[in-house]
Amino acid sequence: MKKDNYRRKKTWFEIFRYFITLIGLLVMIIPMYYMVISALKDNATTFIYPPDFFPSFSVLDFKNFIYILKNVLFLKYLLNTLFVAIITVLLSTLISTLLAYSFARLNIPGKKILFAIIISVMLVPGLALIVPQFELASMFKLTNNLWGVILFYTAWVIPFSTFLLKGYIEDNISKELDESIFMDGGSVFTVYRHIIIPIASPSIAAVSILNFLFPFEELGWSQAILKSDGIRTLPVAISMFFRAHSQTDWGYVFAMTTMAMIPVIIFYLLLQKYFVTGLSSGSIKG
Amino acid sequence: MMKSAMKLEKRKRFNRADWRTWTIFLPGMLFVMLFTIYPILKMFIMSFFDWKIGFQQTSLFIGLKNYVDVLSDPIAIRAIINTFVYALVTVPLQMIIGLAVALLINGIKKFGLFFRLGYYLPVITSWVVVALLFRYIFANTGLMNYFLIDVLHLMEEPISWLSSRWSALISAMLLGVWKGIGWNMVIFLAALQAVPLNLYEAADIDGASKTQKFFYVTLPSIKGTITFALVMLAIGAFNTYTPIAILTGGNPMHQTEVVLTWMYFQTFDALNMGYSAALSMIVTGIIMLVTVLLFGLTNRKKVA
Repeated sequence: MKKDNYRRKKTWFEIFRYFITLIGLLVMIIPMYYMVISALKDNATTFIYPPDFFPSFSVLDFKNFIYILKNVLFLKYLLNTLFVAIITVLLSTLISTLLAYSFARLNIPGKKILFAIIISVMLVPGLALIVPQFELASMFKLTNNLWGVILFYTAWVIPFSTFLLKGYIEDNISKELDESIFMDGGSVFTVYRHIIIPIASPSIAAVSILNFLFPFEELGWSQAILKSDGIRTLPVAISMFFRAHSQTDWGYVFAMTTMAMIPVIIFYLLLQKYFVTGLSSGSIKG
Repeated sequence: MMKSAMKLEKRKRFNRADWRTWTIFLPGMLFVMLFTIYPILKMFIMSFFDWKIGFQQTSLFIGLKNYVDVLSDPIAIRAIINTFVYALVTVPLQMIIGLAVALLINGIKKFGLFFRLGYYLPVITSWVVVALLFRYIFANTGLMNYFLIDVLHLMEEPISWLSSRWSALISAMLLGVWKGIGWNMVIFLAALQAVPLNLYEAADIDGASKTQKFFYVTLPSIKGTITFALVMLAIGAFNTYTPIAILTGGNPMHQTEVVLTWMYFQTFDALNMGYSAALSMIVTGIIMLVTVLLFGLTNRKKVA
C-alpha cells in the first residue's frame, strides 16, 4: 500500500515537472514564434490592434522576405559577417592558444603579472575603450574597413579565450607529455603543434564557437567603424534598416532578423555538443 | 644515475626562455599590448584632458575636471543607477531561474535535448534581433499590453512601456533575464552532472529530504559555478549596451541611459572625448570593485 502511494506521488511529481518545464519553454519560445509570424504577415498589418497571434495560413506569405532580398544587400551583409567571424576565430584561436600555452607551461619572466594584466582586461568593457581604439583604428587606416572590426574583436575576445584555454591545458595535459617530446629532441614548437593543439581541441572548439557568434552580436563598435553600406555586418545593417524605415516596418524588419537567425541556428545544431563543454570547462572548477 | 642527471640537464635547458619561447609568447602579447593595453593607458591619460580629436588640435590638461563633470552630471548618475538596478535585478533572477530550469531538465528523461534547445534559443539569437523583437512586443499596441488587457484582464488602459523610465527599464530587464536563462541553464546543467553521485547516496542513507539534499549537497558542490556565473553575469550587466540602444536609445530625455549608452552618446553625438574617457574609467573602477567584492563574498562563505 505504502509503496504504491509513493509511486503514485512520484508519477504526479514527474508530470508536474514536465508541465512546468513546458510552460517555461512556451515563455521562451513565444516571442520567437511571434517574430516569425509577424515576418510572414503583410507588413501593413503589423501595427493593427489587437495583434493577431494565430493568423490563418491564408494571410501568411514570403512577400517581406522577397522585399528584403530585393531591396537590401542582405547576402552581402551576411557574407561580411561570416568573413569577420571566420577571420576573428582563426586569429583569436592562434593567438590565444599560443598565449595559453605560454602562460601554462613556458618559463617567461614576469609571467604571473602579465597573466594578471590580461585577465583584468576582461573587466574593462570593450565599448569603454571606444575613443582610444577608434583613434588607433584611424591611425592604421582601419576605419570603414572590415579589418578594423576583425582586429579589435580579436583583441576583445583574447583574454577570455586565453583564460579558458590555459585552464584546460593545465587540467588535461600532463607535463610528462611535454617532457617526452623534449627528450626526443623536440622543441616548444613541436609540443605546441603535436601536443597542445590536438589535446586541447575540445576547448578550442568551444572557444571558437563563442568567438564565432560574437560578430553576429556586437553593435556598438561595428556601427562606429563601418560607415559605408556595402561593408556592414548584420547587426549594424539591421539596426540601420530599422532606423531608416521610420521604425515602423516591422514586417520587413522581422523578415530580416528571421533570415539573420538561420545561419546561427544551423551553426548551433551542427556543433551543439561543443557548446556545453566550452561553457562548462571554465566554470565547474571555478 | 647518469641517465637521470642527463635528463635533469636537458629539462633545465628546455625550461630556460630561449628564442623559441619568445617566438611563441611575444606575438600574442604584443597584439594584446597594442590593441587593448595601450588603449586602456591612453584612455586613462585622456580622462585628464579636454581631449580633441584630429591632428591640428591641441588637448588641454584639465586635471580632474572630467571626473568632476561626470560625477556632477545628473544624467551620468542616473545612468550609473540604472546600470546598477539592471545588474541587481537581472543577475540574480536569471541565475535562480536558470538553476531551476537546470534542475527540472536534469531530472527529465525524455525530450531533454528538445527542451534544452528551446531554452537556449534566445542565447544564440543576436541582441539586436531580440531587442527589436521586445521593442515590438512592448509597443503601445504590442503583444504585452494585449496580454495584460485582453487576455488576463489585469488592466484597462495600455501602458506606454518604453516611454517612461521605470517601465522601460522593466522591459529591458525582462529582456535581459529572458535572454540569459538559457546560458545559466547550460552551465548549471554541466555543474549538476559533475556532482558525485555517492554524495547523494550518502545523504539518502542519512535520511535527508529532497530540500536538505539540495541545500547540503547540491548547492555546496556547485559553488564554483555559482561564483563563475555571478562574476561573468555582473561583468556582462555592466557591459549592457545593445538592448538599451535598440529598445529606447536612452530616451525619453536620457531617462533610461545606462553607462555605456550614455558614454556612446557623449563620444559620438556630444564629442566630449575627455568626459567619456573619465566615465569609462569610472565604470571600469566600479566593475573591478564589484568583482573583488563578489570573490570576497563567495570565498568567505567557503571558510564559514
